[in-house]
Amino acid sequence: MQALRNIWFLALATCIEGIRHRALWAILGLAVLLTMANLGVTTLYSWDLGKVSVEFGLSAVAFTGLLLVFFLGMKILADDLERSRIFMLLSRPVSIWQYLAGKFLGLAFVLGLSTIILGVAAALSMRYVLWQYPAYVPPDFSWLTYVMALVCQWMSLVVVLAVSVLCFSFASQPFVALLLAVASYLVGQNMELLRRVVVENAYAGTLTGQENLVIALSWIFPNLSLFDKKYAAAYGMAFSGQEFMLLCLYGIFYSALLLYLATLLFKRKELA
Amino acid sequence: MRAKLKTSMIIPAIEITNLGKSFGSGRKKNQALLDLSLSIEQGEVFGFLGPNGAGKSTTIKLLLRFLKPDSGSLRIMGRTVGQDEFRHKIGYLSEFPVFYDHLTARETLLLSGRLSGMSRQAIDQRIPMLLDRMNLTEAANRRVGGFSKGMKQRLGMANALVHDPEVLIFDEPMSGLDPVGRHQIKKLIAELKQEGKTIFFSSHILSDIEALCDRIGIINKGVLLYSGGLGVFLASGNGLEERFVTLVEEANHASAA
Repeated sequence: MQALRNIWFLALATCIEGIRHRALWAILGLAVLLTMANLGVTTLYSWDLGKVSVEFGLSAVAFTGLLLVFFLGMKILADDLERSRIFMLLSRPVSIWQYLAGKFLGLAFVLGLSTIILGVAAALSMRYVLWQYPAYVPPDFSWLTYVMALVCQWMSLVVVLAVSVLCFSFASQPFVALLLAVASYLVGQNMELLRRVVVENAYAGTLTGQENLVIALSWIFPNLSLFDKKYAAAYGMAFSGQEFMLLCLYGIFYSALLLYLATLLFKRKELA
Repeated sequence: MRAKLKTSMIIPAIEITNLGKSFGSGRKKNQALLDLSLSIEQGEVFGFLGPNGAGKSTTIKLLLRFLKPDSGSLRIMGRTVGQDEFRHKIGYLSEFPVFYDHLTARETLLLSGRLSGMSRQAIDQRIPMLLDRMNLTEAANRRVGGFSKGMKQRLGMANALVHDPEVLIFDEPMSGLDPVGRHQIKKLIAELKQEGKTIFFSSHILSDIEALCDRIGIINKGVLLYSGGLGVFLASGNGLEERFVTLVEEANHASAA
C-alpha cells in the first residue's frame, strides 16, 4: 500500500514540477501557434480542406508531444541524476521501481494534460474549417474517431516516454540517453514499414534474406506506426473499438515491460 | 522500557565493518576506501574529518546505499544496509541540497514526509514547526528555485528532520555558508545533540568539529587514521588543526615511502 502511495506522491510532484516548468508553457505556446497555422495552411489547399485540417491538427499534437517527451521529460529525469536531486528521494524508504514508476506516471500525466489542451485547440480550429467549408467535410467524419486517434497519439507518446526512461536508466550521460531515445523513436516509427518491405518483397536490397532478423527487431522496438491514426480520423475511416483496446493494451504492457527493464538496469547503476 | 533502554545501549547507531570501495578498473582503478571500520553509539555526535577526496562522501553514499560496497558491511540501528529497510530511521542532508525548483518549501517537505510514511495530519503539524525553527516561515510558499544557498541548506536540514529520525547523516552541512548560516546550522546541531539524536557529519572545517563533536574519525586516501574521543586526540596539547595536519602528513609520507 505504501508502495502505491509513494508512486502517487512522486507522480504528483513530477506532474506539478512539469506543469510549472517554463519549457511546458513555451511548447504549449508553440502548439497554439501551430494550431492557428492550421487555419492558414488549410486555406492554401483548393480541395480536401477538411482532411488537411484534421491531419495538420493531429500532427501538431504529435510534434508538440514529442518535444515535451524529449526536452521536458528527459530534462526532469536528467536533472534528478545530474544535480543529485535523486539523493533527496532515495534517502527515503522509496525503491528504484517506485521512483521510476512515479516519475513515469507524473510525466505521462503532463503529456495527457498537454494532449487534452492541444487536442481541444486543434478541434476548435478544425471545427472552424469544417464549418467554413462544409463541402469538404470528409464523408463519415466522426469526432469519436478523432478522440480515439488523439488517445492513440497520447499512448504513442507514453511508449516513447517509457523508451526514454529505459535509455536514461543505463546511459552514462543524459545526452546519450536523449540520442538513444530519439533513434529508438525513429526506428519505431519506421519498423512496420521496413518489416513489410523485407517480408513481402523478394527484392529488398541488402536486407533480402534477413526476414527473421527484421521480424525479431520489429518485436524488440516499439511499433509506433500502429498508433498513428491520423489518416483514419482525417478520412473518416472505420476504427473499431476492439482495435483501439488492443492498441491501448499493447502500449500499456510494452511500457510496463520497459519500466521493469529500466528498474533492473537502474539498480546496477551507482549514484556517485 | 528497561529492555528498550538496554537494547538501545547495545546496538550502535552506525556500524561500519571492513568497508572497501574502489572506482574504475585496471590502471584507472581508484581505491576510495580501504578496510574502514567505525562504530558510532546512539546519541553521539561524530565528526568525520578528512582532506578533499579522502573518502568522506563515498562513506556516506555507501551508508545510504547510493553506492554498493566491494567488501565489508554497514549497519544502521541494527539493520543491515542493502538488506533491511532502514531509511525511515535516518535523515540525510547532502553537501549541495537540490530540490524541485518549481515546488514550494512547504510542498517539498510535504513530499518528503509523505515518502517517509507520515500521515498528512502529522506532516501538517510538523511543517510549520520546522519552517519556524529554520527561519523559513516567510518563504514557506515560495518556490525553492529562488532560494539562496543558505536557505536551501536550511530547507535541506528541515527536510532531513521532517520525519523525526533517530540518526542524522550530514555531508558537509556548513559548506559554502556565510558566517550567519554556519552559526545557525551549528546551533541546530547542538540542539539536536541535546535532544539525543545521533549525528554523523563530515566536514573539513575543524573549528566546527571541535565545537560540536563527542568523537571524531579522521580519514585520508580512504584509510581511517584515527577514531576516538576528541579529548584524547587533543591530549598532546596541540590544537585540532595542528594535530590533524601532522597526522595526515605522516600518513602521506608513510604511503609515499
